[in-house]
Amino acid sequence: MEFFLQQTVNGVTLGSVYALLALGYSMVYGVLKLLNFAHGEVYMFGAFAGYGVLTVLGGASALSVPVWLAIVLMFLAAMATSSAIGVALERFAYRPLREATRIAPLISAIGASFFLQASALLMFTANSRTYDTPQLIEIQTGIALGPIRVWMVRILVIVSAVVLMILLTLWVNRTRLGKAVRAVSFDREAAAMMGIDVDKVIVVVFLIGSALAGIGGVMVGLVFGRIFHLMGFVAGLKAFTAAVVGGIGSIPGAMLGGLLIGLAEAYTTGYISSTFQNVIVFGLLIAVLLVRPSGLLGRPELVKV
Amino acid sequence: MSDTPGDETRIGVDQWVEQSEDRREKYTGWTAPARRMFDQVSPGWRLALFLLAAAAYPFLVRGSDVRIGITVLLLAMVALGLNVVVGWAGLLDLGYVAFYGFGAYFYAIVASDQLPAHWPTWAAIPVIVATTALLGALLSLPSRRLVGDYLAIMTLFFAQIFLELVRNFERLPFVPDDLDLTGGPNGITGVEPWELFGFEINSQDLFGGVLPNFSRQYYLALIFLALLIMGLHNLNESRTGRAWRALREDTLAAEHMTIPVNRMKLLAFAVGAGIAGLTGAMFAAVQIGVFPTSFTLFFLITMYAAVILGGSGSIPGVVLGAIAIAYVPELLRDPGKAGWLFYIGLGALLYVMVKRWDHVAVTVGSVFVFGLIVRFFSGRIWDESTMGEANDAFMSRLMDDWVLILDAQRDVITNYVFVLAIVGVMLVVVARAWWRIAALVPTLYFAILVWENKLAFEPSITRQLMFGAVLVVMMAVRPQGLLGTRRVEIT
Amino acid sequence: MRKGSIRHIVALLLALALVAAACGDDSADTTTATTAAPAATTTTQAADTTTTTEAPMACEATIGFIGPITGPVAFIGEVQNNWFDYAIDSFNAETGYDIQTVIGDNQFDPAQSGTIAAQFLDNSDIVATVGPAGSDQTDAAGAVFEAGDPNFTFISPSSTRIGITDKYNGMFRTVPSDTDQAPLAADFMIGEGAQKVFIVDDQSSYSVALADLVSAALEAGNVAVTRESVSQDVTDFSALVATIDADTDFIYLPWQVAANGQILSNQMVEQGKNAVIVGSDGMDSGDFTTPGSYVAGFAIDIATLPASAEVLAGFLAQYPDTNTFGPPVYVAAQVIYDAIVRVCAAGEVPDRANVQAEVRKTDLAETILGSPVSFKANGDLEVGQFFLFQIQDDGSKTLLP
Repeated sequence: MEFFLQQTVNGVTLGSVYALLALGYSMVYGVLKLLNFAHGEVYMFGAFAGYGVLTVLGGASALSVPVWLAIVLMFLAAMATSSAIGVALERFAYRPLREATRIAPLISAIGASFFLQASALLMFTANSRTYDTPQLIEIQTGIALGPIRVWMVRILVIVSAVVLMILLTLWVNRTRLGKAVRAVSFDREAAAMMGIDVDKVIVVVFLIGSALAGIGGVMVGLVFGRIFHLMGFVAGLKAFTAAVVGGIGSIPGAMLGGLLIGLAEAYTTGYISSTFQNVIVFGLLIAVLLVRPSGLLGRPELVKV
Repeated sequence: MSDTPGDETRIGVDQWVEQSEDRREKYTGWTAPARRMFDQVSPGWRLALFLLAAAAYPFLVRGSDVRIGITVLLLAMVALGLNVVVGWAGLLDLGYVAFYGFGAYFYAIVASDQLPAHWPTWAAIPVIVATTALLGALLSLPSRRLVGDYLAIMTLFFAQIFLELVRNFERLPFVPDDLDLTGGPNGITGVEPWELFGFEINSQDLFGGVLPNFSRQYYLALIFLALLIMGLHNLNESRTGRAWRALREDTLAAEHMTIPVNRMKLLAFAVGAGIAGLTGAMFAAVQIGVFPTSFTLFFLITMYAAVILGGSGSIPGVVLGAIAIAYVPELLRDPGKAGWLFYIGLGALLYVMVKRWDHVAVTVGSVFVFGLIVRFFSGRIWDESTMGEANDAFMSRLMDDWVLILDAQRDVITNYVFVLAIVGVMLVVVARAWWRIAALVPTLYFAILVWENKLAFEPSITRQLMFGAVLVVMMAVRPQGLLGTRRVEIT
Repeated sequence: MRKGSIRHIVALLLALALVAAACGDDSADTTTATTAAPAATTTTQAADTTTTTEAPMACEATIGFIGPITGPVAFIGEVQNNWFDYAIDSFNAETGYDIQTVIGDNQFDPAQSGTIAAQFLDNSDIVATVGPAGSDQTDAAGAVFEAGDPNFTFISPSSTRIGITDKYNGMFRTVPSDTDQAPLAADFMIGEGAQKVFIVDDQSSYSVALADLVSAALEAGNVAVTRESVSQDVTDFSALVATIDADTDFIYLPWQVAANGQILSNQMVEQGKNAVIVGSDGMDSGDFTTPGSYVAGFAIDIATLPASAEVLAGFLAQYPDTNTFGPPVYVAAQVIYDAIVRVCAAGEVPDRANVQAEVRKTDLAETILGSPVSFKANGDLEVGQFFLFQIQDDGSKTLLP
């Protein structure tokens, strides 16, 4: 029981991060029908931005401001950096290809992802950095959950992710801009005819999606500690799996998918083997794609002739 | 058919002939006669000329250069295979590198001491090609139900799974403990060279020293490349090629025209995979070993860069792209040659952006002035900034007196300048007319600064930046690549 | 914009670049070490002395270096390159010769290792090489060297994979192989009375080999062993940590990325597991600092040895930093340099065959690694010693007897 509980906590932590990333994928796919491969790199840069702020504030062991303020600043910096990169990506890599063939934006996305990885390698070198979070928040601080202890940072991550997802859902469902986003994802041309500024909506989608990814990056740095220039690639793949499993284009689907993938990873490591954890998660995606290509909560895509 | 008055459709005239005037008018400028001549030469003769040049290559260079030539030829072959799937059939296959690795590993397993198994080459190669093609066909089966993007993702994941399995094969639960099939993370070494008609194709020289080392493998690769080009050209001109073009442009319409779309997709994947398997087997023999680290995303991007740069869908384009892309790492290895590549590339981009020679001159002059100003001010504010040493390359020595070579805090400042350069590039793209030149001046200076201070010594990073940028820029500016033909998507 | 002009400009300029590059600097780039070590150019006219310090005539040769100077493990390759340059400069200054160097950057890619190996073979000035660093790259380069010229010596400063020295005639190494490291860890754990050990490898060849050896040794000593593995790009080990039994005594981590080890350690504290971590030499870096845990290393911290400290100080005066991968490069360069000097002292012109013969006779009683260097027939170190350290609260390491 304790083991199961522990793995569940692990899975939920991981899943929250994947869910944040998956939201970005889902939203972008919803409005543009484009898989933004470079999303993982956006997340990675957010993590490094947070690290930069942490260093400027004195580093984990010699912080010049209270811990909570440091974390808030890190989140803000990551959001700003990631949004900037995301918006730039949209403007320069994807917008010229709106009317092009279906695979052109995908190739551009892969190229952009690779370019961003190389930029990170140039700027940060191949050495990984560590947030050194135990200096910030003692490992012993936490809440007891039955027989196990849960570290404060994990709780922070899970709670923040949940709050953000609630905020996002409220925004999409209750505000005008959110309605515009839903309209554009439903039918872009009709939305344009209804007077919605499609370009602006798309920029907003990228902004929000990338900001969420940036926050995810800082969270990963806080919980797990190690950030490096390739972290976006694998995390991106897993988050993409989550988005597809949940139903790409659907926001609740992304959240559900993220959770499922996080739990799947934790349970696989715990009960089967850690060696093939990636293989099983990827295999899960392929299985879902074969059986139900539109995912758990997604709409089957109608091809209009 | 042109729409100019007085030039309407003439009945009974062949369309190719009719369009000849348009073609003649199409080429303008000082390169026009060359291009018209190129068009007049039939594909067969073009191939012959290319093969002649390639065959003469080993006579003129040393063994290590021949080995580089082999790398180029192998990349050309595998890019041609990728072209079949992506360029002709329009299916985005991001797991292509797994077929390449599969072919390489298969050959390594059956032609080394791994099992041990020492299959003769004439038996091994057809089996490898057939098996890889079958694997490709299997992978394409889901493509029936999946739209382009999902297929891309699935193939990408397949490549990841392949790598993980190869690395951890012995740990699979159903594998007996004494069976070491893939060598795990160590890979397989001691792979035997190909042996055809009693002739061992190893890395030794040919004709007793007339041709340098590695020539045998070079010519083997060249022969296969030639066969591949001929075969693919014929395939493209046949009904299959036309079916692929149809399914690429509009799958639904193709289906209604009774093209067996699913079978054609299967065929495209199978052909592409088979070519990758063959090339992989050759690669294993040349490297005398296979390692999991050879078949990563990096190589996939390299292949894609070759296809996209050269022109997806066009055989000469892909070969040209492969030659360019494969040569880049060699050029970048030495800061001197890398400098040439960088500055000439910068010059070309400048011309493309600004178009008028006088504007170009103004821009270059302004960059110099800007540089002098920066140097002046930084010398005033900060003593150490101008004291770094340039490397030995010709262009760098030229630049040394002018561009800022940093000594202290080189890395930090270069990072900021890099970001500024990227922002500058974005501004240049957005701006027009005089604003464009105004934005270009500092951007060029920052780019040169980053190059001289960091990138010239980091060939690996430069290569990655380049390939990524090639993909993005080509797609935005010229999706058909250098020699491809423009496509229009009917949505 | 005229249609097609873009591609013509670009194509023409690319062609121009290629032509310029091909006709430009010759491929046999002999770049001398960039730092300016004042070379004393006295050539003594001793007639027939056999001392090895000052040879009678000018001695010319070129030594190559292959390493991952850029790429994913640039922090290893760059430090190795710096140590190589430093070594050759110091030796040149001492002897007055002007031995040249050629640097090859294989970017940690086995394919490029092969290409560079071919280039070195073609360059008849190069008599021997230090490198490559990683075992994959050494395998790839070794295959080319062996096929081209078995007399070509290459001394790897960090390839620890078992068995490669047997495959290639010209291969030597200045680090002990994994067969020397595994018994150290296993014996230590058995000696501490371990009943249960949890071993995790990181799916690299270095790691798997060590894990297999240690696992076998432990099982022979009647210790219960659990084996797991994670790939290097995993940064969350909480699920893995949860599977560690509470009564596990030791965790053996033969990992290359020490930062991952630190994360695992933190997560163990989080979940209340208190097994002690024993790491391999890959974990011996500043990133892993859990007090009370153990790491292995193939050299005593050379700052503690007085003779080596001087060399180290000289190095740090010119280059920014160092790590454990550096000093074996110095020793490897020293071996080759001494071999060349002995060849010259005997009155011969250095070439690949006689340099290799002299390398085989290497017998240095003392090196900056703190242990003697001489080679077995297959190229492995005669005396390969690993040391075990315990990490203290303040991050320093104490050597275990």
